[in-house]
Amino acid sequence: MKSRLLTVCVLIAITAAASSRLVAHHSFAAMYDANKPIRLVGKLTKIEWTNPHSFFYIDVTDAKGRVNSWTIEGAGPGALSRRGFNRGDIDLGDTLIVQGYLAKSGARIVDGRLVTLPDGRIINGGTAGDGGPGSTAAPPAGPRSK
Amino acid sequence: MLARTAPGLAIVVVVFVFSVGGAPPAQVPPAPAPATQTPSELTINDLRGRPYSGPRVETPRGLDGKPDLTGYWRPLREAGKPGGNLGKDETNFALPFSDLGRRALLYSQNHTVDPEAVCILGGIPRHNGSGLPFEILHTPKRLATIYFYNTHRWVTIDENRQPPTSPEPHYFGTAVARWEDEALVIETVGLRDSSRDKIWLDENGNPTSDETRVTERWTRPDFHHLTLQMTVTDLKYYTRPFTFTRTWVHGDPGQGLTEYACNENNIDAAHIGPGAGAIGPDGNRGYGYQDLELPKDPPGPEKYGL
Repeated sequence: MKSRLLTVCVLIAITAAASSRLVAHHSFAAMYDANKPIRLVGKLTKIEWTNPHSFFYIDVTDAKGRVNSWTIEGAGPGALSRRGFNRGDIDLGDTLIVQGYLAKSGARIVDGRLVTLPDGRIINGGTAGDGGPGSTAAPPAGPRSK
Repeated sequence: MLARTAPGLAIVVVVFVFSVGGAPPAQVPPAPAPATQTPSELTINDLRGRPYSGPRVETPRGLDGKPDLTGYWRPLREAGKPGGNLGKDETNFALPFSDLGRRALLYSQNHTVDPEAVCILGGIPRHNGSGLPFEILHTPKRLATIYFYNTHRWVTIDENRQPPTSPEPHYFGTAVARWEDEALVIETVGLRDSSRDKIWLDENGNPTSDETRVTERWTRPDFHHLTLQMTVTDLKYYTRPFTFTRTWVHGDPGQGLTEYACNENNIDAAHIGPGAGAIGPDGNRGYGYQDLELPKDPPGPEKYGL
């Protein structure tokens, strides 16, 4: 399972560097706040493979021990599949690290620009053409920096 | 010909109807392979047009001898010009607003959520300024423009027909078309108004009014190119007519529009704020052109009280 996952992640990283997901259905700035970058660490509780975006739900434990559910917006299932990231390649309960931007509405929704998978590989989740930070040239995927 | 591009039965039916309507076999290169990419699989490189450098192929023609505009068309982006901004050729990429137009702009930016983001029809002229590819199905009497988010408009081609004098307002208005030599000229009136309806002039959230008249001049100088010269006349919100030009390149063999499930799980719809967001000095919306990047160590949710 782990070697398979590693292979998948490498494929994702290579593909993401060359062709970030696309077809922005809304502009980044209409939904997310570029002045509110955020980093989350949480356990995967649910995945929705739907259009126009997939959504990943993670439980994040705050400093006071409270657990809150966060929604992470990601690429559509076709794009993820093309990158080799298919249903079953990650399991509920896996820990994800997400770096992105908070929704302007104040809801616990994040545009996942960089998502770190359990093996340490990072997916570039930036949407080319959505006007979000760095969307003109998607930054390459790479190893997690600690 | 187009059945190759879409597996959906609806498209097959449309193609059948067009065939009955008498569309002639297009003068096209060899039949392509079936399309395999769904919208969410496509990348920016699949959607934008690339300059065509192959041998010239003659313009295909319909039974009436006029250019057949049928095809899957990808837009050519102009260097140094913003995408999705109908003011791309204006000074500082800014449209010539009237006082009323400035108020309508404020309304659009502060009250109206991007209609396309919540699966409302984008309308005309917005779609002509979109960076997404589109498809045309064309017979001598009817023309359909079909858009990426699975919306479309119909245009009647009849030189004896005039635009209605008091049309019901629509997102795509009411359009009639005529030929002027090799150019198909489409006149559209009866559009909705940004001051009360969910319609934008373009991707940047500029306003359009119920007095807008859109005149499109479409030409297909050869098989691989489609050109548009579009004049928007809206003296309610703008001080003068303005013009938008663009060239599209025919898609690669096998490419075409496919299913786009706009409303399948549009969780975003409840969280998108009004307006297009910040418009940069380059005329583009958003932050993507200002060299902003994620900080190396973004703060956790506690910074935002979450």
